This record gives sequence, C-alpha cells and structure tokens, in this order.
Amino acid sequence: MSALRSIRVIELAETVSGEYCGRLLADFGAQVVKVERPGTGSPTRRLGPFKETGASGENSGLFAYLNTSKQSVTLDLSTPDGVAALAILLKQADVVIDDHAPGWLAGIGLDPGTLAQTHPGLILCAITPFGQDPPADRRHATDLTVMHASGWAYHTPSAETKRPPLKGAGRFMPSYEAGLEAAMCIAACLHDDRGRFIDLSMQEVMASRADYVLGQMVAGDMDVDNARTRFDLGGPAGIFPCRQGFAYLWMSIAPHWQAVRTLLGDPAWMSAFTDDWLERGLTPERIADCRHHIGDWLKGQDKDEVSARAQALGIIMVPVNDPGDLIRHPQFLHRAFFTELTHPALGTALYPTAPYKLSATPVALTGAAPLLGRDNAQFLA
Amino acid sequence: MSMVKRGGPLQGVRVLELTKVWAGPYAGRQLAFLGAEVIKVESLGSLDVTRVYGVKDIDKAPGFMAVNPQKLSVQIDMKTAEGLTLLKDLASTCDILVENLRPGAIDRLGIGYEALRQVRPDIIFVSMGMYGNDGPLAYQTGYAPCFAALGGLSSLVGYEGEAPRGMNIRYADSTFGTAAAFAALAALNHRKRTGEGQFIDVSAVETMTSMIGDSVMAFSLNGRVPACDGNRHAEIAPHGAYPCAGGDWIAIAAQDDTAWTALAACIGIQESRFTTLAGRKAHEAEIDDALAAWTASQDAATLAATLQAQGVAAAKSASSVDLVADTHLWGREFFRPVIDAQGEERSIIGPGYRMSDAAALTDCAPTLGQHNEYVFGDIMGLSAAEQRRLADAGAIR
Repeated sequence: MSALRSIRVIELAETVSGEYCGRLLADFGAQVVKVERPGTGSPTRRLGPFKETGASGENSGLFAYLNTSKQSVTLDLSTPDGVAALAILLKQADVVIDDHAPGWLAGIGLDPGTLAQTHPGLILCAITPFGQDPPADRRHATDLTVMHASGWAYHTPSAETKRPPLKGAGRFMPSYEAGLEAAMCIAACLHDDRGRFIDLSMQEVMASRADYVLGQMVAGDMDVDNARTRFDLGGPAGIFPCRQGFAYLWMSIAPHWQAVRTLLGDPAWMSAFTDDWLERGLTPERIADCRHHIGDWLKGQDKDEVSARAQALGIIMVPVNDPGDLIRHPQFLHRAFFTELTHPALGTALYPTAPYKLSATPVALTGAAPLLGRDNAQFLA
Repeated sequence: MSMVKRGGPLQGVRVLELTKVWAGPYAGRQLAFLGAEVIKVESLGSLDVTRVYGVKDIDKAPGFMAVNPQKLSVQIDMKTAEGLTLLKDLASTCDILVENLRPGAIDRLGIGYEALRQVRPDIIFVSMGMYGNDGPLAYQTGYAPCFAALGGLSSLVGYEGEAPRGMNIRYADSTFGTAAAFAALAALNHRKRTGEGQFIDVSAVETMTSMIGDSVMAFSLNGRVPACDGNRHAEIAPHGAYPCAGGDWIAIAAQDDTAWTALAACIGIQESRFTTLAGRKAHEAEIDDALAAWTASQDAATLAATLQAQGVAAAKSASSVDLVADTHLWGREFFRPVIDAQGEERSIIGPGYRMSDAAALTDCAPTLGQHNEYVFGDIMGLSAAEQRRLADAGAIR
C-alpha cells in the first residue's frame, strides 16, 4: 500500500537526473517501466562505482542505487518498430520521464508542443541542463558545467578565494537535485489529473536552491560582485580535523563563544577576544587566530564524543560523517534508513532508502535494480 | 469558503506553514509555486529571525522576502490559549501542515499530529527535523552545514587528498525543503484515492545522504570510503575548473573522446597517450596543468563560447554578478517581477521548471498579518467583532 501505487510511469531517461526521478516515484509504489537500448542498456549501467568482486557487467552501484523497484524493457527507439512499440506502452502511461537533449522527444512521437492533442492526460517531464531552449553557448553540458552555471561551484567551498572552485559532492549533485524537483512536479500534476509538459532546467533548479541569497541579490537588497565569498556568512565556522576524522563547528553569537569557552576549559588564549566578537568584532586575523587555537584543541578529541559534549552545552558542533560512518550510525540504524536488497550480480547489499517516513504509506524498496530487459515478456508481448 | 485561486496543479490545496528560517519556508514556497494556497502563521512574539535580524522594516525584510513569495501571512500568538484554539480551527480547514519548529515543540504546544487529526482527520502533517522526529540523536539541532556534515555530503567536498571543506555554507536547507514538499504531495495523492491523511517525518541529514547515494553504494558494495577528489570524475577527463583572465574560472569537461579531440585541437595538443579516457585519466594532472596554462590569459565567457562551438562542455563559473545578469535566466522568466503589498514591483526567483497550465506567480512575500482579514473572516467566518475581541485578548498579534 503505497502512495503512488496505481501510477504507471514510462522512463525514457538515460542519465542520473531522470533515473533518480523515476526511482523516487517507484519508492512510493509507482510502476516504473524503464525503456533501455537493446544490447547495452542505459549508459548509467556502465558508470561506477562497480562492485569489485564477482563478474563484470550488470555490476554498477550507481545503476543499482538509481533503479530499485523498477522494471526494464528493451526497445530500439531509433527504429520505427521501436517507436511503435513505445506508442503502445504510452497508451497505458500516466507519466513519462525524459532527460535527453531538447528535440529528442519530438523524434519519437512525443512533441511537447502538441502533447495536449496527441497524448491528452499524459504528464511529460523533460529534464535538461538549461531547459528546452538553450542558447548556442550552452548546448553541451555536464553536471560540472551546470554546477558552475548555477553559481554553486564558484562559491564552493566557503571562505576560499584563491584555489579552484569545487564541483560539489560526487559527480551528480545537479542531477539528484533535478530528479527530486522533477518528482515533486510530477506528484503535484498527478494530484489534479491533468496532462502537462514540465520543462525542467537543472541550472534553474540549482540556482533556485540558493534563493535565500540570490533572491535578495536579484531584488537589489544584497550586493553582487565577483567575490568568491559572496554567498558566505563569514566567521570562524568550518570543518576541523579531530583525532580521527573531522567535526563541523558553527559559532555566530556570543552565547556560542561562552559555551565554547566552557567546553575548552577557559584557556588563556580566549581572553584576547571580547565576549561579543562573533557578532561585533569579526576580523580576518581574529577568525584565523580562533580557528588555529580551536583546531589545535580539536586535534586531540574524538569527533563523536566531543560533538556530543558540545551539543550538551548548546554548541552547534557535529561530526563530519563519511559513508562508512553512516551505515553503522545509531540514528540511521534506528530509523532503518538502509535496507538490504539482493541483486543477481551484486549480491546482497545495503541501500539508502528515503529521507521521509510516512505513517500510512511508507517508502518500500520492493526489488533490486532489474537486469537489462528482464521484463520484456511482461510488457512487450 | 474562500480560497486564493492562481491555477496550477495544486489549486484548491490549502497549506498551513508553521516554519522558521529557510528549510520549512522553502517547502511552503515549492507548494505555493505549484498553486497551493500557503498560509504562514506568524506572531509579533516569535517572529522568524529572517524577518528581524539586521532588518530596518519587518515588512521589507530582504531574507524573508527572498524565500516567502506567493504566501499569505496570518498573525496568531500560539503562546496564548485562545491563539492555540484559533490555530486548531484554522488547521481544520487545511489539507497540509508543514512545521520545522524545534524537536518536540509542536507536541508541547498541544498541536501535534495526534491533536490535529482530531479536528482534521485526513490532514497531512509534515514534520521537518535535522535528524527527523525519532531516534537516539533526534534531540540535536543544527543549521544547514550540520545537515551536510552529518549526512556524509561534506566529507566528499574538498581538494584531492586533503581534509573536507564542505559545500558552500548555504547548501542544504532548500534541498531538505524540496524533499518535504515531494513527500507531502505523494501523501496528497494517497489521500485523494483513499481519504486517508498521515504523519510525515522528514530528516535533513538523510536528505543529504540521498544526494550522495552512489558514493554510499561504493562503501556498501566494496567497503571503501570515498575521499575528497577535488574536481575529478571517474568517467570524464579532463574535468575541472581552470583559471582565466581577471580572476575568473572556466569549467571544462571533455565529456567523451570526440569532445577531447576537439578540445585538444583548440589547445594544440597532439598526444596519442591522451586519445582514450584511460590514457587521459592516467595523465590527468599533466593535462590539467596544460589546460590551466592555456586558459589562464583568456576571457572565460569567450572561451566557453568557443569551446561550445567545438562541441565541448564548458561554462564560465558564474559569480553573483553573472547570475543576476544571466539573460537566459531572465528570458525564461526564472527571474521575474511580482507585486508587493504597496503595489511596487520586485524581482523574485522563480521555480526550477516551466510547466503548461502553471500557477500564476504574482505576489511578493506578505507583510506581517497582511491576510488576517481574509483568513479570519473569509476562511474561518469570524465576525469583525470576534476578530477584535481576539486581538484585544492577545491571540492575534
């Protein structure tokens, strides 16, 4: 019994963004039929991380994450027969997810411009780097260039002014964000049962994630310039090395400073700072000095233990977890965030589920990612 | 009963927002942009920090206005008994409630899910917390960079072989808000079919983990902890940010062998060692150095256009100036004007999509209590005298 159980989705997507969108719908019980190229299947099947032991082929951890609970069929959409077979599948579909370049959909009979006439009632969501109408100098894009075009890369990491901007976590942040936004749009459109074309721009999704600052800038309430630190809040907050691993410490108001004083046992160096320096006395020298001393102290601490003590004092400090920490983390274990699935090639492994717990219709991963064409007999009869 | 109608897929859906700062308001913003009528409950006694911090006029607070367009504001003081009753009455007219108060606060006020389902059995109650609603660490609180640190995302952002630096400090709240909005809409579909409402518990930390799912799989499958990798990409080389004239940067990704051939021709590199991805990965640092030397004196935007014309994925790294001057974003009405309470035009950030039969995006963020009369009078049917009595009693302030 899940929230989208009667919904039928055809997934034409071949990259992370559309496949993640499909997965989010499948999480809630939608039937997601993934249409793949015969022979090679989705290109994400050939992207890592791969399981390092066992046979190669069908061993992508990326594909495994993105395609749980889906069905796989193979159709060659470059042939009339393939397009005709797709047209039959589409008759039963509520939703189509695509992430090919603008123009591709028209070639397989799904022209967004005539969708309301040719496929009334169908929700067609097209995810592209810059929308359906990219300017000539944005026709070629990857997650990296989207990350830069959205402003996030230029301003990452915070407080960095000289070294290269960073792409973010992993390879696919804009794709995951776009997939989530697409799933949200589709769920909204399913609510009013009306066919729609959704033209989703990854650049806009990423830029809209900065609306708190970008909204002030475009309204003229916040300065704009070429500073790499323009999105920053300033201050000594940041990541510090601990005995093993790292901790993140946030300090922005006088009570934080008092609490840190207590945590550190009121060391002599802190008396050189006024009680309210975090609010009224921030200078680059003081920030550097503070970070240096706190960094020295944290080097001897355990990240989990010191964060727990700090939290008890009202300090906003947390451990910087890595993926290995998460899988054995008491909070994640308690909430059963990871679930075990068995895949014919990858064996049994833990998979991330979803960040929301619904009391009546919980997310359920009903099966590992399908082998290529596993469901041809059922859907292409 | 009256309802603000703007079209869009969520027209007719009413959302009550008990939220602060950014993540909760962003969830409401997403629903409002899709056509829902989103009512933000505020009170002079506990104003959102974005309305007051460093602000001259609480009705023109820049941060607040940036994240709350298209919403209604009603004043209810939840510290009074009558205010709480009023809130419950209002909630009984709403389809969805979104809250991101401190852990447990909503239950202590007596307006948690169990209390509200007594007055609105099919309500969809969305509770947002750093760690979610339950678990041994659910009591802990933090800001956006804490979500990213705890969820594993920060550990992957940093220069190769160095300590993590994390994403820009602003990252995480809006992603968390979007996850909450999506979950609420899934529940709305369930309710449409069955009439059943539910409680939704959204975790900011887990939202961050979802954004690095493939990196988590790397550990899950192979027991290997992925480390900071700068701008590296296992399947694309070169792949990075390279310096340009004037302190600018250009992002270049040779997305396949053909793109590399075109890029190499532009630079003037003739190297058989680099023709395959494996070859380029093996000599990645050498290629990066050559690229950086080649880009250093060039104009980033011009070079990006040149490379695009050759089929190479490239983009100028956008600063805040570049973003607000991006003609593509203006042309698509990503930046668009709306009207504020005084009838003045103001530009806002639109959603990440265009959609047929979309909701009309017309309104600026509300002034405090701008919609008191509409909410108390039109929606709840309270007489003017009763509204005055409640105001005098301190329930509306």
